[in-house]
Amino acid sequence: MRQKPPFDEEAPPIFTTWNQLYCFVLVLHLIIICLFYWLTKTYS
Amino acid sequence: MSNIDWIILVGTLAFIVFYGVWKTRNVKNVESYLLGDRDLKWWTIGLSIMATQASAITFLSTPGQAYEDGMRFAQFYFGLPIAMVIIAVFFLPLFYRLKVYTAYEYLESRFDLRTRTLTAVLFLVQRGLAAGITIYAPAIILSTILGWDLFTTVLIIGVVVIFYTVMGGTKAVSVTQKQQMIIILGGMIVAAIIILNKLPADVSFQDTLGVAGKMGKLQVVDFSFDLSNRYTIWSGILGGTFLFLSYFGTDQSQVQRYLSGKSLTESRLGLLFNGIFKVPMQFLVLFVGILVFMFYQFTPPPLHFNRGNVDNIEQSSYAPAYKQLETDYQLVYQEKQTAIKDLMLAIEQEDETAIQAAQTQVKTYFQQDSSLRAEAKTLIQKQNTFAKVKDTDYVFISFIVNYLPVGLVGLLLAVIFSAAMSSTASELNALATTTVIDLYRRSIVKDRNDQHYLKASKFFTILWGIIALSFAATADLFENLIQAVNIIGSLFYGAILGIFLIAFLFKSVQARAVFLGAIVGELIVLITFTLSVYGYIDLAYLWLNLIGCIIVILLSLLFQAIFGDSPPTPTKVLDR
Repeated sequence: MRQKPPFDEEAPPIFTTWNQLYCFVLVLHLIIICLFYWLTKTYS
Repeated sequence: MSNIDWIILVGTLAFIVFYGVWKTRNVKNVESYLLGDRDLKWWTIGLSIMATQASAITFLSTPGQAYEDGMRFAQFYFGLPIAMVIIAVFFLPLFYRLKVYTAYEYLESRFDLRTRTLTAVLFLVQRGLAAGITIYAPAIILSTILGWDLFTTVLIIGVVVIFYTVMGGTKAVSVTQKQQMIIILGGMIVAAIIILNKLPADVSFQDTLGVAGKMGKLQVVDFSFDLSNRYTIWSGILGGTFLFLSYFGTDQSQVQRYLSGKSLTESRLGLLFNGIFKVPMQFLVLFVGILVFMFYQFTPPPLHFNRGNVDNIEQSSYAPAYKQLETDYQLVYQEKQTAIKDLMLAIEQEDETAIQAAQTQVKTYFQQDSSLRAEAKTLIQKQNTFAKVKDTDYVFISFIVNYLPVGLVGLLLAVIFSAAMSSTASELNALATTTVIDLYRRSIVKDRNDQHYLKASKFFTILWGIIALSFAATADLFENLIQAVNIIGSLFYGAILGIFLIAFLFKSVQARAVFLGAIVGELIVLITFTLSVYGYIDLAYLWLNLIGCIIVILLSLLFQAIFGDSPPTPTKVLDR
């Protein structure tokens, strides 16, 4: 099996893999957009 | 401005500068100077990326934009978190693997020296001009409002930035940006709290949101698909991702921020930090603008926010006509008060019919209000044809100066100066790095020792600083300069992104094809622009970004098919 370069081995400080952290960022962004949508609907 | 404000303003800025210089006193070689020894932690990188993007004009203009146009500008940033993830996944590991100083170095390993040099020169032209504007744009507003001389304001911002950037290099830029971002965010939060406290005692936070919402100021998300509408969720996510990918992925002023990370992990976390906090930060800045809007519903606002324009017209023959407009404006304001109180009561009682009636009434007053402001602008322009009548950039700063308590005025001015300095510092640092690494050391003076290139880096930082200062100091000689610089940026940005996208996505395309594609593509962009200038075609200059990028990609693919170069060679070790 091909070895990853050393700089790429480190796991993120939270979650097990980087993909999980990326998903977390994108899901958080989606939640923020939903909150903005709620604000728009509630106060318009 | 009071003595306390002066002490806070000067003290805050001096502390940041000397902290930056002290923290970087051991910078003794080129790697340390240009990449900060690659030892920065993710929070410093994240704050530094945010500070680079947020220039002073962001904090001056954005609240004014919310005041005039509501919160919808927040959608412009919706593509940013997506771009951060894409850069963390694809761009960053490549840059780290090759241990590059600049983004353009990667292009030599992927293509050849010609492509690297061409892209570096394109970057230097556009960023060199933008650095002048980053100083000039806030300086003209600050000098008008504070009554300072424009040249002195430009000089204060420029000289301080050049000083600490030259002394400590990229690490000084990053550590000062960390402090500056803390001041900026802290200052904006304090401003929001103070404005809320300045609203009348019988107006709650809920009332504020209710009235602002009924005035259409809280429409953050717009799902309509309309290409002529600049800010919708679709333009934000689709266009924004594309725009931020090019800005954060290929602009050295940003690339240098995350390349100075201690490890790939720290750099990735720094980018993701920006992806998480940038949108809420912009929301906060816009929301401060909404609060200022609400403040002026209960406190008489000026008819025109640019004090310089008002002073001029009051000393001219148009003074009586302007005075009459001011009187009419105040009358509308008084009448609007009752309608707003009715609206608040109707919202509280959840009476839909009453809400609609009051809303219609308030909107009518707003229309009268807007038409009086427009008449004032026409009058100002009659008195001085060259006067810049768009006054939204002055809304927040005039509020700061006139209504914030002693001490906070100094703090908020420190916020704006900090933002101007942080963006300019990144630009000067990136310009010097690209000049030394991609041109001077690579092609002009190749075999000198580390100390020589360290001195050269400091020299080019000063040189670019002087160029930026000269440009900023004489900027008022050119009409509509900001637009001119944006046009110059649009002429080159598309081609640069096109080259990088070819490098990342089309592995079969080789050096000769992409170089010719970039040259011909750039020429087509310049010809298209010339045709639009002379009226042969009707095209907004922002489209040149997209056109340049697509043409470079298509031409490179075409030339590759024609020339049929050999398959790509493995990544070369960079010859620096």
